[in-house]
Amino acid sequence: MRDYWLNKLFFDIQQSPVAAEYKKDREAVLARYPMSAELRQALLADDIETIVPHVNAYLLRFYYAIVGMKDAEFIRRLNEIPDAPLAPKGKEEMSHG
Amino acid sequence: MANLVGVYAASHGPMIAREWDSLTPPTRASVEEGFGQVGKRLMASRPDVLVIVSPDHWVNFFLNNFPAFCVGVGAEHDGPPEPFLKKHFHHPTLAGHPGLGQHLMNTAIDRDFDPSMSHRLTLDHGFCLPLWRMGIDPIPPIVPIVINEVDDPMPTMRRCLAFGALLKEAIASYPENLRVAVLATGGLSHFIGEPGMGQIDEKFDRTCISLFERGDPAALASTLEQEVRHTGNGGHEVRNWVVAHATAGNKGFELISYAALEEIYVGCAFAEWRVAA
Repeated sequence: MRDYWLNKLFFDIQQSPVAAEYKKDREAVLARYPMSAELRQALLADDIETIVPHVNAYLLRFYYAIVGMKDAEFIRRLNEIPDAPLAPKGKEEMSHG
Repeated sequence: MANLVGVYAASHGPMIAREWDSLTPPTRASVEEGFGQVGKRLMASRPDVLVIVSPDHWVNFFLNNFPAFCVGVGAEHDGPPEPFLKKHFHHPTLAGHPGLGQHLMNTAIDRDFDPSMSHRLTLDHGFCLPLWRMGIDPIPPIVPIVINEVDDPMPTMRRCLAFGALLKEAIASYPENLRVAVLATGGLSHFIGEPGMGQIDEKFDRTCISLFERGDPAALASTLEQEVRHTGNGGHEVRNWVVAHATAGNKGFELISYAALEEIYVGCAFAEWRVAA
């Protein structure tokens, strides 16, 4: 289920001042977004598996690009999520990037 | 009366701008060739106004207010906010065309179609990346049309066909003598922020291309309505192409080029529709 405030954080962090503040002090920024303790902890721990069900995938991508996670690492973590709705047609039918 | 002088499609993968300076020569050549061809054709059509159909990638709209369709009716719009595109595309603002934009809104309301409207949109990479790579200069006034393709529920393919028909009608009934071109951007397959990111679903892409080439709008809508549910989230952007398809009169398109460009995470395609008289 979507968490409004988690999505709002990921939306707002596209603004440079918010991103800069977040990189400096995550907890101070998170205090302004009334999300659950579980999600707050997941953000602090970069626990993508916990975050994914609650956020729009585009916003998730933007967030991790902004906080500086390399694409290869981000993709690896996404693909390691157990029981994730995998690329639906089967990897054997697809090109790989 | 205004005339529809061309209808085109181009992918808009942001990695093209993010990684432009370090793309491998084959990827770069493929991208340059596709955008170059579409740009050449678009400029040859000498448009006075360019209607661009694209999603909004979480720039203008958020979960507190997310329209299915939005028409930009303003005299001016803001250029791309993305730093990776700003460094290449130096247009802090872009001219709009309030006359045609407002006429499209009025035509929509008259036909019981109720898009949102904006007097000033920020035009992200979906709008501006193709303009940058096509090298269009000067850029004609733009009527931006935003379709929700990033969060459920999204408009049906059938509704996108209807919107395209509406756009066709609005252009044909606009009283000023204007040459109008339409550019649909985005697609084909890509996976963004979800498992499978970086993969390209060539089967989906080939299905899309075949349907757009054939023309039949009913088959296009019904097949794509199913197929987009089984590919990456970026595939939803094919809705822009569906709008363009109907705007051109459902006569089918000529594929200019297609390449599964893994380096930029996108099934990258370029096309020009046959425009019905």
